[in-house]
Amino acid sequence: MNAPIHSSESTVLIVGAGLAGYHVARQARQHGHTGPISIIGDENRPAYDRPALSKAFLNGTVNFEDLHLDDPSNPLEVTWHSGSGAVELSTEPLGVRTADGTFHAGDNVVIVTGAEAQRLPSFGRSGGAFVLRNVEDGLALRERMIEGQRIAVVGGGFLGLEAVSTFLDRGAAEITVIADEQFPGEARLGAAVGQAIRHLHEQRGVKFGPPVYAHSVTDTEDGSQVLNLTNGDAVQADVIVCAIGATPATRWLRDGELTLGPSGAILCDDFGFTGIPGVWAAGDCAQWTSQAAGIRPIGQWQEAVEQARIVAAAIMGAPPVPFQEPYFWSEQYDVMIQGAGRIAQSNEVHILDGSIEGGDLLVSYRLDGEEIGILGMNRMREIKRWRKMRTARVLASA
Amino acid sequence: MSLKVCHLSELTPGEGLRIESVSPPIAVFLTEEGTVHAIDDTCTHQDASLAAGWVEDCKVECPLHESSFCLLTGEVDQPPAKQKVRVHTVEVRGDDVLVELSQEAPNLPPGVSVS
Repeated sequence: MNAPIHSSESTVLIVGAGLAGYHVARQARQHGHTGPISIIGDENRPAYDRPALSKAFLNGTVNFEDLHLDDPSNPLEVTWHSGSGAVELSTEPLGVRTADGTFHAGDNVVIVTGAEAQRLPSFGRSGGAFVLRNVEDGLALRERMIEGQRIAVVGGGFLGLEAVSTFLDRGAAEITVIADEQFPGEARLGAAVGQAIRHLHEQRGVKFGPPVYAHSVTDTEDGSQVLNLTNGDAVQADVIVCAIGATPATRWLRDGELTLGPSGAILCDDFGFTGIPGVWAAGDCAQWTSQAAGIRPIGQWQEAVEQARIVAAAIMGAPPVPFQEPYFWSEQYDVMIQGAGRIAQSNEVHILDGSIEGGDLLVSYRLDGEEIGILGMNRMREIKRWRKMRTARVLASA
Repeated sequence: MSLKVCHLSELTPGEGLRIESVSPPIAVFLTEEGTVHAIDDTCTHQDASLAAGWVEDCKVECPLHESSFCLLTGEVDQPPAKQKVRVHTVEVRGDDVLVELSQEAPNLPPGVSVS
């Protein structure tokens, strides 16, 4: 088996053309990598950024060109192979075979295939519920008539709730959210934040169903659909959107040499190393040691960028890049929700300022009295300051 | 022609002030070093107010992501923003902050237009 090659002239093969893939390539070039870099993407499109798919892209404010990750006036020096996804990883010789039969070799292979939207187990004839993961999904919902329609959104996470706020903006007649929590995000972010998020939507007329799961979609004679809930209730809707999370896009690796976790994620150390020389993984298809331990979040935009940065440095043999505090944001209506720090590990939540009804909450997350996280609604200045001060502290103690 | 946009005493060292009396809005910064700068307030990546960003080393980092804009040149250092912001000429006269707006076309983010 080949030893990993850290030379700046080696070939880097990036499998996946999303946020993590783009940033691995960009960072490798920043580190002075001069060798060939190839990026394989299964979609026949330029690499794009996803956050706007549930917001500005979904309401037509921005177009696909606006989502492109690469800068057309200063493009990355990489070879893009678009339209045929990876189907097989080979360790000897090291490389990946794509669906069209091509073998792509690399001295280092970085797997960044992302995740696929989870769907309800049972669909109606019409194909059932929409999902929102890729630009195709976004286009389908962007082109679907929403004005005057009854919408049901399954899932009370940020993706679903951002879509809710966009649908209301597009004139939906009625929106019902089916989430497994009474107050969305309550378990993860605390009761006050869950209540504040629910209030944000309820004050605009959005309805919340009972805190149960949805299990299937059935079609009715009049062309509308019925969403069936686990408590026996049913929600009638014209459009059903399923936003219940995503699973790592690693089916193609299932019978291979890599170790996959229970979710299907590629298990890696905190440098993205898979244990197989020259094979690395990052972003939503991977689970790094600190994520498996619950210390770092999973599935966040910022996490993919950070991991890409760390993997690129590791491949290049550059000094390790420290993790920053985790960070996420969500735009719902005119409210920007931002959270930072190790919120999942906190055991106390304190309201620092604002109110549940005001859409202006600022809360502190503490672990045994020490502040380890923060969340704000329309608190951009406070959140940025907190993040920068924490980063300074991390760097000072490194 | 210079416009009076704010008082020097309204500015906080290390912070920005969003000025909405001009379109598109601009941000005026007083650095810790005591210099005053004015740039377009809207990040070129997405609609976020740079006045709420983090000011350090004569740069402001967008409050939403990690792109930093140079207060002297408007240049951006890293994604997600790709384009620079305009820089406006500042003159401090007593307690008055006067700004002469750039004649360049602004690089507003997709979906944002001048009202």
